[in-house]
Amino acid sequence: MAVIKKVVDWIDVRIGIREVAEKELTEYILPRTINAWYSMGSVLLFAFVLQVVSGMLLLIYYVPDADKAFKSVTAIMNDVPYGWLIRMCHAVGSNMMVLALLLHMLSVLFMGSYKKPRELNWVTGFTLLALVQAISLTGYLLPWSQLSFWATTVATNSANAIPVVGPYLVEFLRGSKLVGPPTLGRFFALHVAFIPAVIGALIGAHLFFIKRTGISAPPFGQKDSSNHWQGDRYRHEEHPGGIPFFPNFVLDDLRSIAIYMACLMAVVFFDPYLFFPKDAFIPANPFVTPAHIKPEWYFLANYQTLKTFSNELIGLSLQGAAMTFLALLPFVDRGNERHPLKRPLFMVCSLGGLLLWIGFSIWGHLS
Amino acid sequence: MKYRTLITIHYVTRTLLSALLLVITACLVSTQVSAQGAAEPVCITCHSTLPEKYSLPVTLWRTSIHAENGIFCSGCHGGDPQDAVNAMSPARGFLGAPKEPAIPAFCGRCHVGVLKDYLTSAHGRMLGKGGPTCVTCHGNHHIIKASLELINEKSCSRCHSFDRARTILASMQNTEAMIVALDMRLIAFKSIGTDTEKLEKELFTVRNHFHSLFHNVNVDLVTKESVVIQAELYKIRDALVQMDTTIWKRKMAGAGVVSLMLLIAAVLHIFKKNFKL
Repeated sequence: MAVIKKVVDWIDVRIGIREVAEKELTEYILPRTINAWYSMGSVLLFAFVLQVVSGMLLLIYYVPDADKAFKSVTAIMNDVPYGWLIRMCHAVGSNMMVLALLLHMLSVLFMGSYKKPRELNWVTGFTLLALVQAISLTGYLLPWSQLSFWATTVATNSANAIPVVGPYLVEFLRGSKLVGPPTLGRFFALHVAFIPAVIGALIGAHLFFIKRTGISAPPFGQKDSSNHWQGDRYRHEEHPGGIPFFPNFVLDDLRSIAIYMACLMAVVFFDPYLFFPKDAFIPANPFVTPAHIKPEWYFLANYQTLKTFSNELIGLSLQGAAMTFLALLPFVDRGNERHPLKRPLFMVCSLGGLLLWIGFSIWGHLS
Repeated sequence: MKYRTLITIHYVTRTLLSALLLVITACLVSTQVSAQGAAEPVCITCHSTLPEKYSLPVTLWRTSIHAENGIFCSGCHGGDPQDAVNAMSPARGFLGAPKEPAIPAFCGRCHVGVLKDYLTSAHGRMLGKGGPTCVTCHGNHHIIKASLELINEKSCSRCHSFDRARTILASMQNTEAMIVALDMRLIAFKSIGTDTEKLEKELFTVRNHFHSLFHNVNVDLVTKESVVIQAELYKIRDALVQMDTTIWKRKMAGAGVVSLMLLIAAVLHIFKKNFKL
C-alpha cells in the first residue's frame, strides 16, 4: 500500500490527480432518487470495452481473406486455447450490447431524460445505436459462412430499392456487383477501424454532454416532475442533498455490470449457439442459396417491414421516417412534463411503437 | 408372307419415326442449350423426351447415388454431354453400354478398390460363367448406395441359398450401426462449429475399408476384418467422448463463473444498501 501511495503522490504533485478524482468522483453529486436503470450507461461502456478487447484478441488469429476467413474462425473455435471463449464473448456480447442499448434507450425515453436541455445526449445516443447496429452488420460477414454471405447479400441488396442511386450504392457497399472478397475487405476495415473509432468519439461526446449538463433526476416519487429548464443561459443541473458518484453509485454500476456478466456468461457457457443457426458453421458458397436466411433478431422488424410491402422503397422509406422521428424526438416532443403516467399521448405512441416493433420481429422470425 | 411384310413395314416405320424423333429432339436441344447456356447434359434433356425404352434410364438415374453426387451419363458412358449431335460419337469417347462380362471393368474405372475385391471374391471368380456382376446387386442407372440393405434374402436367393450371406450380414451389422451412429454424431458436432474434418476423414477411410468387405464373400475374413474396423471406430468414438467431456467441463466452469458473478452482484447490492456516507 505504501508503494501505491508513493506512486500516487508522485503523480499528484505533477498533475494534481487527487483534485481531479475528488471533483469527478466524490464531489460529483447525483440525485438521491437515482435508480438502477441509470447504470445501464456504465454497463454499455463496459460491454463496449469487452467487445474491443475480445475483438483485438480475435484479430491475432483471424485472417480477412475470403479463402481463409472461415478456416481461421474454425481454428479460433477449435485450436486456439480459449479461442472459443473469446469468440463467443465477442459474438454473444454484440447481441447483449444491442439488448442493453435498447433497454438504456427505453429507460431514457420513459423517464423523459431526452428532453431539453439534453437533446444532444439523445442525438449522440441514438447515433450510437445506429452505429452499433452498423458494426454488428459488418461483423456478421467476417466469419465468411453461408449465414454471413447470404445475410449480407440480402442486407446490401435492400439499397437497390432507392431510386436512381440504388444500384450504384449496392455496388459501392459491396465493392463489386456481388458480395465477394472486396466486400469482406471493406466490411473488415469498417468493423475494426472506422466504426469503432467513430463510436469511441461519440461515447466521449455523450459522456461530455452528460457531465456538462448534469444527470437528470428520475421523474418518479416527486410532486413536481416537470422540466424547469429556462434556456436563458448555461446551468449545470445540481442535486443538493444527493449522493456522490464514488463510492455510492459506483457500487450500483458494479452490481449491474456483474449481473450483465452473469447473463453473458450464462449464454456463452450454456447456450452459446442461441444466436448461431446451422448456416453459421457452413463455409460461404455463392452457388448454394440456403432456404431461410434471417438477419439478427434486432433487424427482424426491418426485414419483415421490407417483406410486408410489395414495394421495397415504401418499406425503406417507412423505416427511414421512423428512425428520423426517433432521432429528432427531443425537438418534436417539447412538453415540460417528464413523468410517463402524466403523458398519455406519449405512452400510447411509445407503447404502441414498441409493441409494433416486437410484433414485426416475431412475425419476421416466424415467417 | 403378307404378315411378315406387314411386320417388317411396322418395324421399319417405328425405327424411322424413332430416328426422326431423335433428330428433332437433338436439334431442339442444341438450340435450347445454345440459347440458355450450360443446362443439364444433353443426354438427359434428349432422352427424357424419348419413349420409355430410352427415357427409363434417365428416370432411374435421377434417384440414384450417382445423381446425388453429380455423376452424369458421360461419367460412365463417355461421349460429349455438351454437343447433342455428337453426344454419342465414339470419336468423342462414347462407350455405350458394356456387355455383361465387361461390366465390372466398366464400373471399376472409378471404383478401383471395389473391383479388386470383387475379382478375388467367389462372385468375381464366376464372372462370365453366370456369376453376378455389379448391376446384379446395385442395379444399373438406379444405382443404390452401398449398404447392408443390399444383402437380403430376396436378392441373394436369386442365385444361391441365403445361409452364408446371413452369417456375413450378422457379423457386419454391428459395425454398420456404429458407423451410422458416429456419422450422425459428427454431423451434430459440425453443426455447432466443431472442427470434425480429421475425424470425418478417418471415418471415411474406415467406411471404405468396411465397404470393401461387402464384395468379399469370405465369412472368416469378414469376421476378422470387422474386429480391426471396430477398433478404428472405437478410436473415433473415444475422440467424440473427449469432445463431450470438454463441453461438460465448460458447462461446469460456466456454472462457477455465473455463480461468482451473481455472488459479486449480491454482495455489492448488500454493501450498497448498508453503505452510509
